[in-house]
Amino acid sequence: MTSTYWPLLEVAARLLERDEREAVLGDLQETGEGAWRGLLDVLGLVVRRQLLPWKNWQPWLAAFGLALPCSLLLMGISVSVSSIYQRLADNSILVESPHAIHEGFFQLFSRGLLLIASSWAGGFVMGSISRRTLWVSIVSSCFPCLFCLVRFREPSLSRLCLFLFLLPAIWGVRQALRLTRINLAFAILLAIAITTLVILPSSSRSSWTLSWSLIWPSWYIVATAQTDSGSIERS
Amino acid sequence: MLGEFEYLLITAAAGLGDKAYGAAIREEIEVTTGRRCSIGALYTTIDRLETKGLLKTWMSDATPQRGGRAKRMVRVTPKGVQAAKDFYEAVTRVSRGASWVTNRTGRAG
Repeated sequence: MTSTYWPLLEVAARLLERDEREAVLGDLQETGEGAWRGLLDVLGLVVRRQLLPWKNWQPWLAAFGLALPCSLLLMGISVSVSSIYQRLADNSILVESPHAIHEGFFQLFSRGLLLIASSWAGGFVMGSISRRTLWVSIVSSCFPCLFCLVRFREPSLSRLCLFLFLLPAIWGVRQALRLTRINLAFAILLAIAITTLVILPSSSRSSWTLSWSLIWPSWYIVATAQTDSGSIERS
Repeated sequence: MLGEFEYLLITAAAGLGDKAYGAAIREEIEVTTGRRCSIGALYTTIDRLETKGLLKTWMSDATPQRGGRAKRMVRVTPKGVQAAKDFYEAVTRVSRGASWVTNRTGRAG
């Protein structure tokens, strides 16, 4: 193995898990395999490892059934929350009717809560069902973000308001990666809250019917929380 | 039923006994079959067989000839031995009567 290619091979091997990296690099060093062939071997193993999880349904669901549509919907809610906040901040909402300010605060609260809860739930489900293919789910959610960023034409709002959902979503993903166990009571409360906020009459305008797809991740959390508690009882 | 490469891997590991690990199994397969065995195919198959309970693997201590890196040791489980035996018997049975088989009755001797 030439010393020139060895560092390159070690960089490629970083994509493998620690134990596997040790075994593979040790094997290559022991057999004295050619640098180019060794590099191809390591890359071949990396590709196989990355493709393996795609035999299951979870990565497909996470990337194309959750990350892609939900990031689009959550950007809509993010803009909606920002818009309501701005109307309240500059008092333009008072022009509509005397009671509009109360309705405005209620909408800000309900949509803000929906944004945080559904973003967190989406992120949590994405992180828990597709740990090894998380990067694909992240890339998948980037496509609608870029699409909306390019087409955003609202002069009164900053483009950054599209991404209000990111913070709670990243928090949810982090919780999932840390293997945080979700309490069943909390999961049910979260699911009921999201479902209620989605079907609230005040929030049933225009494309809000699409928001039904925001509900399922929270009920998925309930289902898995139930399974966990069931398995504890059985063991 | 095992696949062809799975059978080769189990048989090579069983033949190597306590000295069965990645590089040794790979060399054994390459020498006996005359075909190249990629590291990707080797380690993903080892994982699959371990998931099926046909192999058991563990990391050994680091050795100087490997640049201070550990080996992934492999041991064939009784279930793995049975699976390899079933595969061998099936191949032997299906091969009876084939033109390339010297003893067409399939009996030893």
